[in-house]
Amino acid sequence: MKIEKANAGNLTNFEVFDFLRSRGATSDPMGCIGSVSPSECKVFEYLSGSPAYMQTRESVNEFLRKADKFKFITSFEKLNIVNSTPTVMPALYATIKDCDKRIAKEEEQIAKENQLEEDQLQELLELVKEIFPQPAEEQEELSQ
Amino acid sequence: MFYLSQVEQNLKMPPHLLKPSLLDGELEKGIRGELEKRFLDKVITNLGLCISVYDIQSFEGGFIFPGDDGCATYKVRCRLVMFQPFVGEVIVGKIESCDEFGLQVSLGFFSDIRIPERFMVQPCHRGEDGIWVWQFKVDNEEFQYSLDIDEEIRFRVASVKYPPTPVEQSENSKPFSPMEITGYINGDGLGLVSWW
Repeated sequence: MKIEKANAGNLTNFEVFDFLRSRGATSDPMGCIGSVSPSECKVFEYLSGSPAYMQTRESVNEFLRKADKFKFITSFEKLNIVNSTPTVMPALYATIKDCDKRIAKEEEQIAKENQLEEDQLQELLELVKEIFPQPAEEQEELSQ
Repeated sequence: MFYLSQVEQNLKMPPHLLKPSLLDGELEKGIRGELEKRFLDKVITNLGLCISVYDIQSFEGGFIFPGDDGCATYKVRCRLVMFQPFVGEVIVGKIESCDEFGLQVSLGFFSDIRIPERFMVQPCHRGEDGIWVWQFKVDNEEFQYSLDIDEEIRFRVASVKYPPTPVEQSENSKPFSPMEITGYINGDGLGLVSWW
């Protein structure tokens, strides 16, 4: 076996979920037999329990487009955020590497390109909540 | 967590698989089946665990070499969906078991994820029933949060290792795991999902 390209592109959880769904995987393990293998079915089951279940191609593209203006986060961190959709500030802190060190302190007058401010983080969190609504919130909207 | 990997493989198609594929005109399906048998659910060192065959980009050949039991050999170029979380990625899994060294977390399709004691939320200790407990002190009040089995836990990947295959193994040792992930949970937003 020859490895031509070790990394031919990162995939978000949603893309893998969509791909397996198009191959015929369903949440019902018995229904999967024939179209996909049992191990693919297990991956599908895991992804069904993750935020990828609620996402659509359009919502992921929209988030990536709007998150472009936040220069302080790298593309890996954007991937992290799309896969885990944090809804509270501590969860967002967890996805961004060395978050506390990168927040601009008031005493420091030097402005660096990758320094971020607390309100920018809050803005990012609001964007995540807006584009990737939680299932409980969606049910509330439906019942109204 | 997932990424695509492009590989080239010399695939031997046994005659009993070739006949139905060629007759139906679905050689690609037969090749796909063989690729899945070869790669699916296998760990490739430094690439990760192969989850699925994404697509077949090209295949050529089909020559039968002498001494090959009539197998036609195709040179196939395909893309595989690999599971290999990058260091620093945040993943949610379920606590499968705990022992004196730490926790073991599972994702359903992958279970070799360990969170050793030194990477757990500090301070913590192991209770009498074997369950790890986090002692959280705030303003002289102490809270105890236990890391129970089957709870969802959010952790950050510290490292991904590929230990070499052991030549000999004693009967009582742990089954060999070709891919081991170590995670840590001492940070904001990490630990049980229900805590935050």
